[in-house]
Amino acid sequence: MALPQLIAEDMRELDRVLGDLVSRSEASAGLIIDKAGFLITQTGDFGQFDSTTLAALAAGTYAATQGMASVISEPNFTCVYQQGENFSLLVRNVDAESLVVVVFQAHVSVGAVKYFANSAVPQLSRQFEIALKRSPDTLDLAMMNMENSDEFFRKVASA
Amino acid sequence: MAIINQSTKELQVKIVYYGPALGGKTTNLVQVHEHVQTQEGQKGKLVSLATSSDRTLFFDFLPIEAMAIKGFKTKFQLYTVPGQVIYNTTRQLVLRGVDGIVFVADSQYDKMEENVKSFQNLEENLKTLDLELEQIPYVLQYNKRDLPNAAPVEYMEFLLNNRDVQVPAFGATAHKCQGVFETLNMITRMLLHKFINESNRVKQLV
Repeated sequence: MALPQLIAEDMRELDRVLGDLVSRSEASAGLIIDKAGFLITQTGDFGQFDSTTLAALAAGTYAATQGMASVISEPNFTCVYQQGENFSLLVRNVDAESLVVVVFQAHVSVGAVKYFANSAVPQLSRQFEIALKRSPDTLDLAMMNMENSDEFFRKVASA
Repeated sequence: MAIINQSTKELQVKIVYYGPALGGKTTNLVQVHEHVQTQEGQKGKLVSLATSSDRTLFFDFLPIEAMAIKGFKTKFQLYTVPGQVIYNTTRQLVLRGVDGIVFVADSQYDKMEENVKSFQNLEENLKTLDLELEQIPYVLQYNKRDLPNAAPVEYMEFLLNNRDVQVPAFGATAHKCQGVFETLNMITRMLLHKFINESNRVKQLV
């Protein structure tokens, strides 16, 4: 199986749709993530957030919610919403492999965020479909140079 | 499954530490976090979703970047699963999208049955994700070699590494950071070789 691969054209479109979603809904930040927890792209003010960790936790939360859905025989929960005092968070399913996460201030209407997220989802999933269908000849790790391949991770010398 | 972003030359890979309860999975991540050399002092944050008694409830998560791979910014996400038997659904969730596995076995004689059951459980859980263990690079780590009741490595090899294809195995004393980096570097090497081979194979087909 080929590795899923995104090119500049994909990233431009994903960034455009995510940017629109964040600005129209007056959210603070947005992320597109893979359901395994990988961060694909992000936009907005991440000065105070660790987006890598947020992506991993959001994917885990969404996966746990799907587990709960199956326990109560619900075919699909498409989103997870957490309301906070300062910030709220919406995790919305995009397709079989990806999610969109929106962080917004607590006073911003969740209805607006959901509305704009719902309209962003088909655009995002369409771009992922294009990426998946693209000819595999773009798969390229040729630039990878595994020098000194015994030591990808080095231990700090003890004092 | 790993993700490549060709526009930023970035590869993201997921490694899961699996094994029986209290075997040292979280300790591996703690030691990597404490001792890994990072560029410009940038160190990923270790996140633990644990119970009040420090037992893993959901997972531990550590993002790190490999230093010695040129051409691609290679980001690794290290996860642990909860080892306790009751948390099987959670283990399945964490395995989603896994690229490589480190199986951390407990070397104590009286833990051998738990080791074997956990290994069988790993295979079963991979099947729920339509994966076979043979498809995924994995290494074995025999942890707690410093304990007096540690079983001989040969015995553990017989129990856990007695398959058609034997995989690399490392003795370790994770709380002293012995064997931790050796294990991580080996699974990384196996993973990247697999990706590069797949990349070359696809090119030959085109």
